[in-house]
Amino acid sequence: MSTLHTVVALGPAPDSERGAVPGGADRAMLRGVQADVRLAVRGLTMRYPNGHTALHNVNLTVHAGEMVVILGSNGCGKSTLMKCVVGLNRPTGGSVEAGGRDLAALTGQPLRVARMSVALISQHANLVKRRSVLANVCTGALGRHRTWSTMFGCVPKSEIEPARGYLDEVGLLPLAAQRAGTLSGGQAQRVAVARALAQRPEVVLADEPVASLDPEAADEVMRLLRRLATDDQLAVVCVLPQPELATRYADRLIGMRGGRIEFDERASSVSMQQISNLYVSETS
Amino acid sequence: MNRVSSLRVASPQTSRGSPLARIAALAAFVALFVQACVGVHARPQDLLTGAHGMADILARAMPPDFSQFDASLTPILETIDLAVFGTVFAVLLAFPLALLAAANVSPARPLYYIARSIIGITRAVPDLVWALLFVTAVGLGPFPGALALGLHSVGMLGRLFAEVIEDMEMGPVEALTLTGASRMQVFTHAVVPGVLPTLLGISLFRFDENLRSSLVLGFVGAGGIGFELLTAMNLFQYRTVSFLLIVTFVLVIAAERGSAYLRSRVQ
Repeated sequence: MSTLHTVVALGPAPDSERGAVPGGADRAMLRGVQADVRLAVRGLTMRYPNGHTALHNVNLTVHAGEMVVILGSNGCGKSTLMKCVVGLNRPTGGSVEAGGRDLAALTGQPLRVARMSVALISQHANLVKRRSVLANVCTGALGRHRTWSTMFGCVPKSEIEPARGYLDEVGLLPLAAQRAGTLSGGQAQRVAVARALAQRPEVVLADEPVASLDPEAADEVMRLLRRLATDDQLAVVCVLPQPELATRYADRLIGMRGGRIEFDERASSVSMQQISNLYVSETS
Repeated sequence: MNRVSSLRVASPQTSRGSPLARIAALAAFVALFVQACVGVHARPQDLLTGAHGMADILARAMPPDFSQFDASLTPILETIDLAVFGTVFAVLLAFPLALLAAANVSPARPLYYIARSIIGITRAVPDLVWALLFVTAVGLGPFPGALALGLHSVGMLGRLFAEVIEDMEMGPVEALTLTGASRMQVFTHAVVPGVLPTLLGISLFRFDENLRSSLVLGFVGAGGIGFELLTAMNLFQYRTVSFLLIVTFVLVIAAERGSAYLRSRVQ
């Protein structure tokens, strides 16, 4: 429950970057206790059949309008956590509540429906390269439509205008008709963000979304994710290997080490020492 | 480091072994070829002494009898139809089979094995054997030939399609699954656009192959130019034979170029 306290105690925006998107963190702070919980992970444990435990009793709560960044070294369990949250991995214990349902307890059709409330942006944009940018964005909305109306690769007409809006939001509307395969890495990742928006999620997860981008494109994608929290009031959880980017954009930082949460504090109060400790080998 | 050392092991200096081993390998290859010559009863001297026989036939085949052009239009169309039917029939059956036979999208293990078995059997039996089998069922004519081409192609295409599906990029499939899209939506929006160009290319290549096979099938009574060729040879009409060979050549080249062009367009 310490996580809830840290949200309540959210302080002012820690740096100038936050100032570029006025009000976001402050609004989240002002809502305080009343802030809507959009994602609640409770007691999440993931033990693989070979006996390795990737997650030990992980607790995490994310509110609307909040951007949380998870930091940690390779193999600390941060990506496993993301996969458990979206139902790609089935945790061995605990619950993942989003959109009023426990994703960890669902399978089949109910899981499919529940997944719509959580969007995942991965390291690679994973666009269908031969299709247009607009068609790729529209595919984010497929879950809301009947299978027969979207057969043979048709996208629902009602989704085209909103999709153009999402593309505008990520600044790529002029490229709507272009083939997705022709985009640069940064552009493709922004289209992936637009596709996630088309899903109309409550929670956006981003698993190392800027790992394969140059610094400029990385900044652009991070700014975009920040805006999703601030302007669209989504709960954004981002896994980042770069502490520098994390401290610049996050409201709250979560440090993971050996499958456990080491700290969960507002970004401005996390010290460099705390962050460096995450990257010290457990055996050393 | 492992990679570097494995490269070293694979370097030409160490992989070819000692000079003695190289001589032994060469001797083994020569022995194999000599054995093959004996096996096929190779008699080059007969080829030289009998050359005048071949020259005689070639002389009698000249000039090609172009007056047969009108009469050969129907067999030409029949040959093309055989290839079209065989290819379309095969694609329609091979695609669903390949989906079952691709390990990454197959819905159940037993279905995977059943599909792989069907593909294996249809591929292993040559089209000529299928044609003879269908002739006993539906009689002579183009239909058994078309069925034979189709069935053999099911195996050939099924295997290639399955491999393409197994090698496809799974990222978009996973991404769409996570948006809450249904299995069918993921299939039509991520799997199909990902593999369609390659599958079309393979199908066009198969059409080109089927056109050449349909010529051979004509020899066993499946109609088309092959049948006309056999008839003309049996009647010693060598000028007709040479004309039909020219037609065959043009057809094969046209199909090859046509399918190459279309393949380059769909990529």
